[in-house]
Amino acid sequence: MALSARGIAARLLATAVAGVLLLAGTIWGDDDHFPFGPFRMYSTTADPDAPTRDTRLEATDADGRVVTLTEVNSGLRRAELEGQLPRLQAEPHLLAAVAAAYAARNPDAPPLREIRVVIRWHDVERFRPTGTWTDEVVVTWRP
Amino acid sequence: MAAVIRWLTAPVPLGRLAAFRTLVYLFVVADLVVFTPWVRAHAALPVELYQPLLIGRLLPLPAPTPALVRGVFVALLLAAAVAATGRLPRLSGTVVALLYLEWMVIAFSYGKVDHDRFGLLVALAALATVGRARHGDPTRSQAAGWALRVTQLAVVATYFLAAWAKIRFGGWEWLTGGTLTWAVIRRGTALGEALLAAPWLLVAAQVGIVAFELASPLVFVLRERWRSAAVGFFYSFHLVTFATITISFLPHLVAMASFLPLERVRPLRWWHRVAGAGRAARPVPAGSGEPGVVSAGEPAAGSERPAGRLRQGAGGRTPRHPVPVAGDPAVDRPGDDADRAQGQ
Repeated sequence: MALSARGIAARLLATAVAGVLLLAGTIWGDDDHFPFGPFRMYSTTADPDAPTRDTRLEATDADGRVVTLTEVNSGLRRAELEGQLPRLQAEPHLLAAVAAAYAARNPDAPPLREIRVVIRWHDVERFRPTGTWTDEVVVTWRP
Repeated sequence: MAAVIRWLTAPVPLGRLAAFRTLVYLFVVADLVVFTPWVRAHAALPVELYQPLLIGRLLPLPAPTPALVRGVFVALLLAAAVAATGRLPRLSGTVVALLYLEWMVIAFSYGKVDHDRFGLLVALAALATVGRARHGDPTRSQAAGWALRVTQLAVVATYFLAAWAKIRFGGWEWLTGGTLTWAVIRRGTALGEALLAAPWLLVAAQVGIVAFELASPLVFVLRERWRSAAVGFFYSFHLVTFATITISFLPHLVAMASFLPLERVRPLRWWHRVAGAGRAARPVPAGSGEPGVVSAGEPAAGSERPAGRLRQGAGGRTPRHPVPVAGDPAVDRPGDDADRAQGQ
């Protein structure tokens, strides 16, 4: 089954336009230009001789328990937390909604009394983690 | 130009398109329900955390509310289920492509864009341009060829341009930096953490990754057998990535099936045959063998090397498929292919 000349021309045009957009996105674009942004997964260079970060969202509930908030129990992914960290630092009250989302998804759990964004800095020396780390609390929110 | 057109629209059997179509739409269903439940969870997040991507601002798409997210979820699930059966392929395919794009805007507008599904998005857009395709149909079609070709191009572009992005954002020092060390510390498995003891291996892996990503377009100039080996290597790369740092790139793996001679995979046919043999009610007539599987029509089937069969299936030669048997269902029911999608 052969395509008509028009069918071929339309497909050729679509292929070229998508290709040019994707190339432009890779050269000049950023994630905002999805789906034509650059494929930048793990594209930054980490210093193999400096502490490396591992961000998490944790909370203390009414029973004094420390709960780690994940995409499963809060709806926010870790990478999203990292992507929005500057905003959360400027407006910690945005975390109130995460507390509400946690309550909605875990109706039997005690309410959260405090939410913290914690960066664990793993010490790395010459590519090897030394096994020691420091926790840095960068955002704190209380209801 | 003529050569480019010939290459872009090199005809493939409609049966291959039908199998790819079923695989892709069943994956969409599984993606919604099983693999990325966090997208639905965005419904519960406040509108303030929604930071629409450019495409969401241009169109402009509404900020996700619980009702909107639920509506898109249900509509997409239904449309993908219809599309997986091969019915109303252009209509259901267009609806799925548009709704899935909206689903991705909901997914990626909260601070993180994933880079594992450009190939799938291209596949969804391209599949909607191909009309009806029966499972097992050996008729060669240019429209089907283009749809699979652009999906292949998107898959390979994902590799090649990922290397470009590493040099753009990470610089050449990415090659000898600590990115994989960081990735393992962040989300490594026991296997991945074992690699931390051998940093040179992680650096070698970084060099290897960029080398293979830059070389990936060569898959298009390889001869059939080597092309199958290259695609097998791509799959094994993701297997290792998953085993060490739990990144699956599943949508990309589904799109990459566009390289495979999927028309040989006929789970429902196999099932009917097994069920039929189990009942032993009637003998299977000679010549009702399915295309590509053991092969009444192929000479010296027993002595043939497996790679030889693969080469024939992947390539652009005239197929030796038997004509579809009367009673061959026009459309296979979904089901068995779902296991394939998850098993990739």
